[in-house]
Amino acid sequence: MIKIYAFVFSLFIASNSLGAFVQNDEAAPDFKLLNSFGEEVSLQNYKGKKVVLEWTNHGCPFVAKHYSTGNMQSTQSFAKENGAIWLSIISSAPGTQGFVSSSEANELTTSRKAIPSHVLFDPDGTVGRIYDAKTTPHMYIIDEQGLLKYQGAIDDAGGRGFMSKNLLEAKNYVKRSLKEMEKGNEITNPITKPYGCSVKYSS
Amino acid sequence: MLYFILLSGSSINAESEYSASNSKISLISESKTIQPNDSFYLGIKFELEKGWHTYWENPGDAGEGASIEWSLPKGVSSSNTLWPGPERIPVDPLMTFGYNDEVVLLTKITTQEDIDFPLEIKAKVAWFTCKDICIPQEGNVTILINKGEFSESIEYEEIKKYADRLPIEFYENYRVEKLDQKYFLQSTVENDHFENVYFFPRYYGLTDYVAAQIYEKNENSFSLEINASKTDLDLEKFEGIIEATNSKGVFYFDVNYQLALEKSKEQSLLLLLLFAFLGGLILNIMPCVFPILSIKVLRFIQYSEESSIKTYRFGLSYALGVILSFLLIAFILIGLKSSGEVIGWGFQLQYPLVISVLFYLFIALGFLFMSNLVLGSQLGNLNSLVKVENESLESFLTGILAVIVASPCTAPFMGSAIGFALLQPSFNSVLIFLSLGIGFALPYLILSIKPSLLSFLPKPGPWMETFKQFMAFPMWASALWLLWVLSGQVNTDTLILVLIGGLTVSLSLWLLEKNTSEINWIKWFIRSIAIILIGLSLYILPTSYSLEENISEDSQTYSEQRLNDLRNSNELVFLNFTADWCITCKVNERVALKTRKVKQILEDKNINYLEADWTRKDEKIATKLEEFGRTGVPLYLLYPSVGKPIILPEILTEDILLTYLSEVE
Repeated sequence: MIKIYAFVFSLFIASNSLGAFVQNDEAAPDFKLLNSFGEEVSLQNYKGKKVVLEWTNHGCPFVAKHYSTGNMQSTQSFAKENGAIWLSIISSAPGTQGFVSSSEANELTTSRKAIPSHVLFDPDGTVGRIYDAKTTPHMYIIDEQGLLKYQGAIDDAGGRGFMSKNLLEAKNYVKRSLKEMEKGNEITNPITKPYGCSVKYSS
Repeated sequence: MLYFILLSGSSINAESEYSASNSKISLISESKTIQPNDSFYLGIKFELEKGWHTYWENPGDAGEGASIEWSLPKGVSSSNTLWPGPERIPVDPLMTFGYNDEVVLLTKITTQEDIDFPLEIKAKVAWFTCKDICIPQEGNVTILINKGEFSESIEYEEIKKYADRLPIEFYENYRVEKLDQKYFLQSTVENDHFENVYFFPRYYGLTDYVAAQIYEKNENSFSLEINASKTDLDLEKFEGIIEATNSKGVFYFDVNYQLALEKSKEQSLLLLLLFAFLGGLILNIMPCVFPILSIKVLRFIQYSEESSIKTYRFGLSYALGVILSFLLIAFILIGLKSSGEVIGWGFQLQYPLVISVLFYLFIALGFLFMSNLVLGSQLGNLNSLVKVENESLESFLTGILAVIVASPCTAPFMGSAIGFALLQPSFNSVLIFLSLGIGFALPYLILSIKPSLLSFLPKPGPWMETFKQFMAFPMWASALWLLWVLSGQVNTDTLILVLIGGLTVSLSLWLLEKNTSEINWIKWFIRSIAIILIGLSLYILPTSYSLEENISEDSQTYSEQRLNDLRNSNELVFLNFTADWCITCKVNERVALKTRKVKQILEDKNINYLEADWTRKDEKIATKLEEFGRTGVPLYLLYPSVGKPIILPEILTEDILLTYLSEVE
């Protein structure tokens, strides 16, 4: 009988997702965060569009290199050309590296010539933890139906000797995945190892 | 973050040290003098400010290990960077692997015959020094090595300390099993045992870095339970190093295990779908299903005579009923699977309740075939639908009924195939069940569209009634078979109760059939008696089925008495001491003890399987364990017909177990 109860019970939890982490080809968890202009932005608003999530921290040397070489900006503009929404999310807790005020965030966007659709603040790390974002940068791509399609690194430049690699020559996983999604193809590597600094979560 | 720039190309001014913010590196050698055709360790020593760290080869969730680029003179070659065993450096909620405060990364340098001394060896090192933040650093260091006998330098001890932390090949026999998103690293321990073991994966996408690993120390083996990565890349190799601790210190070992590939992945989905479809077709002629369907199909002949009714509608309703039922089953099974239940098809025959209900159903169906009672027509009266739509609804219900009555027949017949389907990703499982349903519904559907295919049959007539009655026998035969299955799970008293239930079900149906009274109160009185009888039959259904009994299908609970009885009659006995919380036991059961081949040999050789469940630390079992000098499980004993029992290894493989079982006499 116990098994039969387990049965029924499992049907309930099967409908909920089983853990706190996200999985490819499943619905990307919705979230509402404030952007750098104080407006509320909800993932749900972008149903019907591709969405790229970028976990960021401007003080992290990995992130800094992606911006100083123009690699991140080029990926952003590629995504925009493909009709995708780009959300840069900062999960740094107050007082930790990468935590910025709205004006600092906007200043960073201007000075780095970045073109995210929004810069979002997640100071208590809730959204970061739900998505299991580990590093900055850590990238996610969500398709028009709201399903998670890609999670991992921005490119294959991760690994030892990163600081001396030429990022513009690296294989950009985000661009490639977006291209493959556009063509309706399978994504070649839907999960890659994210690399970079740890996300500075509040403990 | 400011570095000073080294003058390059000037060997005289070259520094063996380089300082950056919060960290300093130096190039050290175990000997400052070396011979041609020799090899020795060079080390890059990282001295970090207190509380700062740098990373291992696999940094874990974040960070990056150092990279070392050597510039070597002609005739000198270097190994890859050799990484001493790392520490766990948690950065809540993440986990990283690296070295706090200090580390020496080693490189083996090999010299050839023809080399020019002094050797000037340079290294360009790029690394991250991290605390709560990370600083990328880069520096060049140089060392001069002269010709001479090997002599320990002042840094020799330091190099040795880290060389001792380099992982060596694991000398024990180990294996890795992946079961339900967990890895189980299991090893025999023939040398010194370990107090604790921890696994550091070499690559991303294998194991979960953050989740705690559970170490279980057994008598002369251990099991380590490690959660698979949430971003599971299904790697073929379980590769990394283990840190093993005992009173003599901390040891690091390389582990590299080729994981058994799940065969299901290699099967093409198309082939599986084809088999499922064929299986569905064949189900139509199984004794559980054939009677119902054949009787339904015979109606088509009648309809085709009347010709005005479009029988394909019934076919479609029926097919819908069948396919929806199969999909429902698929979703239930997938739900069960995702809740961690280990099930295969045929699980429905493990519950006496289910078997008993099916038994009633088959008895009742047989009775309906024998008699003139038509339940469907009454059902139709409940709705004020026009006749054809009644028939459609009835066909739909027939579809569901057909799947229900097919369920006991599928168990022995297609159990393994469906079990296989459940190993597939959820989406594929659904497809497989769908194609099973389509195969099952197809013959009926075709006949409903083209009843003329049945034109070889005689004209409708009394023979159809005879045929219908005859079809009661396969139904009752199926009921008999179910009873036999049930007899393996419940005692005689309960079995008799279920038989009485069958009797009351038949009686109530008979009452309903004979209940043709015109007087309302009599009609309802008899009906209520029938309903009470059915209620009674349901009341006596066996539900008291505990988990312990669940196992008893192929095993028996251990007692000293039972063991002695078997021993006294010179029977072979396999005694399994197990517990629900014992990781090693559960893995052994999954991969060896409960496999088909082992069950077969136990049966063939008439070996009595006894299970001593130590989950609640039973006193008597404890005594028995002590007899063999054990304080815990697992313990596997194989008793030959005479003489002392053989103690089997703690970590079983199917092969080991089969060898022991086949040799015992």
